[in-house]
Amino acid sequence: MDTYADWLRARADEELRALLSARPELINPVPSDLGALAARATNPAGVGRALDRLDRFALTVLETMLVLPQPVGLRALGSATGDRKATAPAVRRLRTCGLVWGDDKALRTAPGVRHALPHPAGLGPLAREALATYPADRITGLLADLEVPSPNGFADPASLAAALADRLAEPGPLIDDAGPEARAALGRLTWGPPVGRVDDARRSVRVATANSPIERLLARGLLIATDDRSVVLPREVALHLRGGRLFSSVAPHPPGLEGPERAKDLVDRTAGGQALTLVRLLEDLLERWGVAPPPVLRSGGLAVRDLRATAQVLEVEEWVAALLIEIAYAAGLLARSGVDGEWLPTRAYDVWRVRETADRWAEAATAWLTTDRVPGLAGDRDDRDRVINALADESMRSSAPSVRRATLAALATTACAPGVSAVQEYLAWQEPRRSAGLRDRLVAWTLREAEVLGVTGLGTLAAPGRALVDGDPVKALAPLLPEPVDHVFIQGDLTAIAPGPLVAELGRELALMADVESTGGATVYRFTPASVRRALDVGRTAAELADLLARHSATPVPQPLTYLIDDVARRHGHLRAGSASSYLRCDDPATLDEVLAGRRAAVLRAHRLAPTVIASRLPRVELLELLRSMGFAPVAESPEGGTVVTRPDAHRAEPSARSAPSVVIADPDPSVVAAAVRALRAGDEASQITAPLGEPPRGPSMATVEELREAVSLGSRVWIGYLDQQGQTSSRIVEPVRVEGGFLTAYDATRASIQRFALHRITGVAAVN
Amino acid sequence: MTDGPLIVQSDKTLLLEVDHDLADDCRREIAPFAELERAPEHVHTYRVTPLALWNARAAGHDAEQVVDALLKFSRYPVPHALLVDVADTMARYGRLRLEKDPVDGLVLISTDRAVLEEVLRSRKIAPLLGERLADDTVAVHPSERGTLKQALLKLGWPAEDLAGYVDGEAHAISLREDGWELRSYQKDASDAFWHGGSGVVVLPCGAGKTIVGAAAMAQVQATTLILVTNTVSAHQWKQELLKRTTLTEDEIGEYSGTKKEIRPVTIATYQIMTTRRKGVYSHLELFDARDWGLVVYDEVHLLPAPIFRMTADLQTRRRLGLTATLVREDGREGDVFSLIGPKRYDAPWKDMEKQGWIAPADCVEVRVTLTDSERLAYATAEPEERYRFCATTETKTRVIEALVEHHKGEQTLVIGQYIDQLDELSARLDAPVIKGETRIKERERLFDAFRTGEISVLVVSKVANFSIDLPEAAVAIQVSGAYGSRQEEAQRLGRVLRPKASGAGARFYAVVARDTLDQDYAAHRQRFLAEQGYAYRIVDADDILTGDEI
Repeated sequence: MDTYADWLRARADEELRALLSARPELINPVPSDLGALAARATNPAGVGRALDRLDRFALTVLETMLVLPQPVGLRALGSATGDRKATAPAVRRLRTCGLVWGDDKALRTAPGVRHALPHPAGLGPLAREALATYPADRITGLLADLEVPSPNGFADPASLAAALADRLAEPGPLIDDAGPEARAALGRLTWGPPVGRVDDARRSVRVATANSPIERLLARGLLIATDDRSVVLPREVALHLRGGRLFSSVAPHPPGLEGPERAKDLVDRTAGGQALTLVRLLEDLLERWGVAPPPVLRSGGLAVRDLRATAQVLEVEEWVAALLIEIAYAAGLLARSGVDGEWLPTRAYDVWRVRETADRWAEAATAWLTTDRVPGLAGDRDDRDRVINALADESMRSSAPSVRRATLAALATTACAPGVSAVQEYLAWQEPRRSAGLRDRLVAWTLREAEVLGVTGLGTLAAPGRALVDGDPVKALAPLLPEPVDHVFIQGDLTAIAPGPLVAELGRELALMADVESTGGATVYRFTPASVRRALDVGRTAAELADLLARHSATPVPQPLTYLIDDVARRHGHLRAGSASSYLRCDDPATLDEVLAGRRAAVLRAHRLAPTVIASRLPRVELLELLRSMGFAPVAESPEGGTVVTRPDAHRAEPSARSAPSVVIADPDPSVVAAAVRALRAGDEASQITAPLGEPPRGPSMATVEELREAVSLGSRVWIGYLDQQGQTSSRIVEPVRVEGGFLTAYDATRASIQRFALHRITGVAAVN
Repeated sequence: MTDGPLIVQSDKTLLLEVDHDLADDCRREIAPFAELERAPEHVHTYRVTPLALWNARAAGHDAEQVVDALLKFSRYPVPHALLVDVADTMARYGRLRLEKDPVDGLVLISTDRAVLEEVLRSRKIAPLLGERLADDTVAVHPSERGTLKQALLKLGWPAEDLAGYVDGEAHAISLREDGWELRSYQKDASDAFWHGGSGVVVLPCGAGKTIVGAAAMAQVQATTLILVTNTVSAHQWKQELLKRTTLTEDEIGEYSGTKKEIRPVTIATYQIMTTRRKGVYSHLELFDARDWGLVVYDEVHLLPAPIFRMTADLQTRRRLGLTATLVREDGREGDVFSLIGPKRYDAPWKDMEKQGWIAPADCVEVRVTLTDSERLAYATAEPEERYRFCATTETKTRVIEALVEHHKGEQTLVIGQYIDQLDELSARLDAPVIKGETRIKERERLFDAFRTGEISVLVVSKVANFSIDLPEAAVAIQVSGAYGSRQEEAQRLGRVLRPKASGAGARFYAVVARDTLDQDYAAHRQRFLAEQGYAYRIVDADDILTGDEI
């Protein structure tokens, strides 16, 4: 086992699967063999992504290894990190993701890691390495100033540097000699980063002529110039200043998530109430926008004014309104209509609206969890200091879904309500290399949004929220929602109070005949003449209303309400309005009798309004023609009298392609990973086989063809790696149909079509279960 | 899911199901921090407002108690945002305190530097403050104590006034409980006032607010200035004080248009205080005429704006406000809070009625159908004449006659808005009328006669709205009202709510012309009463004319 690639080959299949699961980008596309996998796993980009996933302690262990001479034993490593117990599992994790290789007695860091972490533990290079760029005369000058006897004879720069490095191994007296200001300057570099910027760093300074703290340090070799403008603190000096410690503090475990503890029951109930509120608010929002949609801004978002107005009518804060709008959009309930550029509920909303509350919530909450849109950004300013609007394209952040998940995962580890900064620190420990700025904001937003959604209750992760991450949120939420009630209290002040969510039908009827005055756990309705008229307008009768109220009222219907309904009903319909396109009038009713009595009278589509007036739904021109053809002699009157009643109607938008929220898949499918491992093994075997003498060379593609033929005969699905004409590699799952003429014809499951693949471009094959 | 009696709404109203077993317990716990907004038959509505929360803080409740009460009684989960808001709002009270410093005099002290900085930067507040004495202390001009409190409340940082009161000129006053005794709630109310120093007591009409005032005076033991709405009311206060306390005729002065007496206890009307001569309030010296130890404001909800301004200068005196409702048609509840003081005591009407302190009332709306010719005349009347027309129709008059006839022998008040109509009714019913131009002497003579039963029907205009005491009025008939004024309706109902010797209930009729503005206004007025738990029954005028039992 001499190389990283050999070690990788020797890993068990299970271990390879673990590696690929931990670093899914390595099989995108699948490399041809394990050698290629090793190369990919150790190139700078690959290592960088793996390092980004490490927690603070794993990173500490890795950096410690880089400082220690390799290979290093687990025991020695444990004492260097200061926590043996935590080191072993950390090493296991590092080995699993291929950043450390070798067994516990001889651990090595993977190639590429050293390059990716140039300053492990914030330490600079050893003096000997740093001095490599110094010319010989400069080193000689330093040696003379530090009173080190020059090596005899013609010394090469390397041995001169070695002599100087030996001198710097005990830098204490030199540091004292440089003075307190110089020591303070070193202090700034001690715990890293070890590189500082200095103008004209390569100037040749001598102890005798040095006149600034930096010059005094340069003259003593305590800082070494690496180029014209940078100096570095040699590792020996830094370790001396640190008192021999590698890290100022080592945190083997994530910081605790502590906060006030709440009763689980109370948490769940609060979340349940909030979930109900969320669904109600979403419906309220979309109903309003269905009737009066706000326009889409030219830049694509929602105007600040419209957001403010929405917040006001929903009686929520602006950020909550932005959250609701973004959730509706992410869940596909809201979209921009193509024609006149308005934000409208989609047809999906109509489906969503009639589902059970728990289902509706689960849909909305899932959309929130997985969307890469960041509602919290609405109202912020972008790089160019322009306001970011809700629903604007600028408020997308690809890391948002993973941070939300990570935040909920952090909450899942505790039964209390940690503060925002505690969660931020926890996540900073989990992935210290990722930039903290955006993440910290996302965490803060996630926490406050989770509370609005009912994912958390009183700051603690509630049962539905837990189920949202892994489980069935519908099942978790349903028992927390209040039972619908089928009765109301009707009172003498003309209000009706529903002491809980109403059964759907009653809710609809009441909303029709009374105005909603306040919402929440209960709903307060107020009967007014206008609201009663509204119910009568859509065809309810006074008796129906009275009957409905009597059936569902828990108490006798108060007399003023029955009077109100009767009063309104008495006057309702006194005046009648209709629409007609034309009219016919005649001072002599007998003539009109004659018109209506005619055999062809039906085609006139006429309706007698009064003895002397007939209204027709035909346009005046047609009416005149028909009458003339029937033998009458009518004349046209100046056009007045026809009214068209319009009534506002709710609009719906077709969801457009771009409105579909993008979904980031966090973990690759285990079956994909397993198939990838098999493909790698196959590719590897193929590359290992060397043809016996005298036979034609059997290239890797021969093995490929064999396997494909077998798949054709078995009718099974295989997984292939494919290099297309542009040199792009991709992986497909296909059902081979035939192999002939250098081509594979197969049904491509990922594209749902029959495709042809050039055999020489197939990089690997593996069976899929 | 608990089965509590309370439902918390997202608009910060609380719905209390009154027939629930725990309703009484719940009411007791939420009353300190939520204003009772509506109290109809089944579900009472309370509202949690910043003022109510600060009232609760002033009464010594903390946010934890409030949150506990909500969580304890709520049927459904309480929105977290609401709980946070409650805690935040309550925490705003008391961050700033007005205190008396032995060296620097009146100072504003803050426990929170940031708040002090915010307040100091306000353009409205800076001129009211003096020098900065320390990081957390600023001097306050003593004359600006009231204005400052008003301005701070508007900023949302109500100051707790701990600067204390001057004792005023001592004067011995005690209650003379011969043949009557202070009711328990009256004692609670005056105690609550005394411990708080200043504030408002909310009691329904007929619950004996005058006696609470007298009890407060007995506790303060100092000279007292009483501000009342009008002269008749002033006389009644005087009568009541003579009857209930050890004060003698010589000790009580009346300061009004006719008399200008300044005595240890002086009763003045709002009207005289707000009279201006050449743009100057000419009676302001009354406030300085004596070293008053207590100022009593009767009917705080009617306190006119100039009196607020004068009160701003009286912050070192103890102040007691008396009212039936904190609802002000002009929305100046905040000024009542900052200038007179927080609410110290209240009791809902229905509870008092249940305990027998006020008479139960039966409210009946009589719907009068106008004749066709009246309807036509109404429809064609000028808009500004319409209400007057429908409120004073002949058809109504006949119904009123029938009602008076129906209650023959009972003490009946006929109350109206329009003098012509009242004069006509007076003639038709053969009953005396009291209106604005009736002399005080004559008014009192008539009231006395009505009280003794010498006359049984009295027609009154709105002059009788306030503070007249007609113990035996069993029936009130309202023929026209001041458009939709809610508190007028409450006052009128109050006329008949005083407990009757017979223990019988009272009747309150509102005669309303069907399908007219009259009906719309009546609906608006009645909504207030319905919200107080006095639901109206509606009766057809024809039933009354035919002599049916109502």
